[in-house]
Amino acid sequence: MIRIENVTKVYKTGAITLTALNGISLHIRPGEFVAVMGPSGCGKSTLLNILGCLDRVTSGRYILNSKDVSTLGGNELASIRNREIGFIFQSFNLLPRMTVLENVELPMIYAGVPARERREKAIEALSRVDLAERIRHRPTEISGGQMQRVAIARAIVNSPSIILADEPTGNLDSRVTEEIMKIIQKLNDEGTTILMVTHEPDVANYSERIVRMRDGRIIDDSPVQNRIIL
Amino acid sequence: MNILENVKMALSSIWANKMRSFLTMLGIIIGISSVIAVVSLGQGGQHTITGEFEKIGTNTVAINVNENNAEQSDYITFEDVRQLKEKIPYIRYATQIVRVQGWASYGTNTKMAIVVGGSGDMFRIENNEILYGRIFTDIEYEEGKAVAVIDSTTAKKLFRMEDAVGMTMDVGPKTAQKSVTIVGVIKSAYDMFAEMTDNDYIPVVVHMPATTVSHVFSLDETASQVFIMADNKENVESAGNLAVNLLENRHGNRGRDAYKAENLMKQLDQINTVVGIFTTFVAVVAAISLVVGGVGVMNIMLVSVTERTREIGIRKAIGARTGHILFQFLTESVIISCIGGILGLIFGIFGAYGLGRLAGITPHLSPGTVILAILFSSAVGIFFGIYPARKAAMLDPIEALRYE
Repeated sequence: MIRIENVTKVYKTGAITLTALNGISLHIRPGEFVAVMGPSGCGKSTLLNILGCLDRVTSGRYILNSKDVSTLGGNELASIRNREIGFIFQSFNLLPRMTVLENVELPMIYAGVPARERREKAIEALSRVDLAERIRHRPTEISGGQMQRVAIARAIVNSPSIILADEPTGNLDSRVTEEIMKIIQKLNDEGTTILMVTHEPDVANYSERIVRMRDGRIIDDSPVQNRIIL
Repeated sequence: MNILENVKMALSSIWANKMRSFLTMLGIIIGISSVIAVVSLGQGGQHTITGEFEKIGTNTVAINVNENNAEQSDYITFEDVRQLKEKIPYIRYATQIVRVQGWASYGTNTKMAIVVGGSGDMFRIENNEILYGRIFTDIEYEEGKAVAVIDSTTAKKLFRMEDAVGMTMDVGPKTAQKSVTIVGVIKSAYDMFAEMTDNDYIPVVVHMPATTVSHVFSLDETASQVFIMADNKENVESAGNLAVNLLENRHGNRGRDAYKAENLMKQLDQINTVVGIFTTFVAVVAAISLVVGGVGVMNIMLVSVTERTREIGIRKAIGARTGHILFQFLTESVIISCIGGILGLIFGIFGAYGLGRLAGITPHLSPGTVILAILFSSAVGIFFGIYPARKAAMLDPIEALRYE
């Protein structure tokens, strides 16, 4: 599914070079639920950006669904982001001027799905996250938990093979966190591969495998001992 | 991703910033409306002038005595006019035009008058529409009969009615007016204008046989201007040359450049050229304001791109290609310019009719002008939208997502 081999990422700003990733190799199998943990600045966001095809490796290889994507151009990467990857962000990142339904339809607009089918699929995705009502509201008119559920619906609407979640519960209280994690676990049960970045051990325990990072390297990669299953 | 989707998206974002969008459009509106107003007024003016000339006839040549170096003996006699008509086969109509200022009275109603003397050909060349009665005959001209033809405006001013045929009035210098009979009423050339400005300072116009005019005003039987009309377009030039030739022979003043033949069509072309150049010049000045409007569009689009950096990041993260973003912002700037263009067109038309009413010109709006205005405003939208749109499309998604 996802395989990165000896990946480095180096940022150069003027005379300063910063090695964000320092020879990382990682293999994620289909259907896995992996959490990436580590202190800030350890390179976990960089890793997520590379896995999400938002950024390119400096050296090494990235193979996604048996395709080498490390050499692809911007528009090809956009295509992969659109069809193969679903993003869930800490700050939800919904477009405030659009309704809930339109937000969920957006990835399909870029995929060229016809309007009618778009609407049907968007409503279906919203019902999968238990948000069949309030779909004509704008993001500012609904709660944080509901916003994140809209974002999840948007992430899954093009049926991606992997969902990348960057601190998905960082802005939510514990009760809502549980709600969201339940949905993510459900998606995982239905076969979607999930990679989640978090710095909260409690949240990481919802996953089945934890990868720990420090200074641009993986220092530990082990299954979760006391997994919380909702 | 189709165009309709893009247009919908652009309209919603324009609508979300109504006031700003309108102010941005204002530049385009002012630019397009001034171009439209100027061009349609210019073309309207050309049409009016052309119309006036065409009424007189495209085959008409005016022969003027060159007043700068004319001697008494150079002036065209009434016998000259007779000879012109007789000797030159190309000439269908010929008449001298004598203009004298005098007075016309009916009872106690006395008006200042321009008395125009000529033969019956004067009406045929000017192609006047006869409303009542008739024009004067060749015999009345030859014999210098006391008859007159007036236009309908004069009839109303003098007799308080249009059909003044059979009425008599006194015409002449203020102290020695003679009685003449109205035989016909022709349609007034400046009917609308005269009715709008119904005041006594504008003189009435009285047409009489040139012979009668000479008699009434005690003048020589000479004129400084002759109008001739050729039998067809091909012969206009020769008719003019032959006429000048004949006059020079009769007056023995060859080589002194005593007469000038002017083809009215040529004059029309010249006037049209001048009006055209002037219109183009003013339109270009107005078009510069359109460019300023375009810079305004670019300015606002740049602000909009900066403001929506995060939105662009989100769109890119979920799969928007460079082209999608480029097209989205380009559509927005083109729509702003196009709406501005259409509003400008509407305001321009209103402006043209408003100004036209003041200046007495009926504006003329050709479909070409309308299409050009819309195309040009779209072009402004594309030209000034491409830079901001490229800037948006080239944003790095990670940077854009991080933007607060």
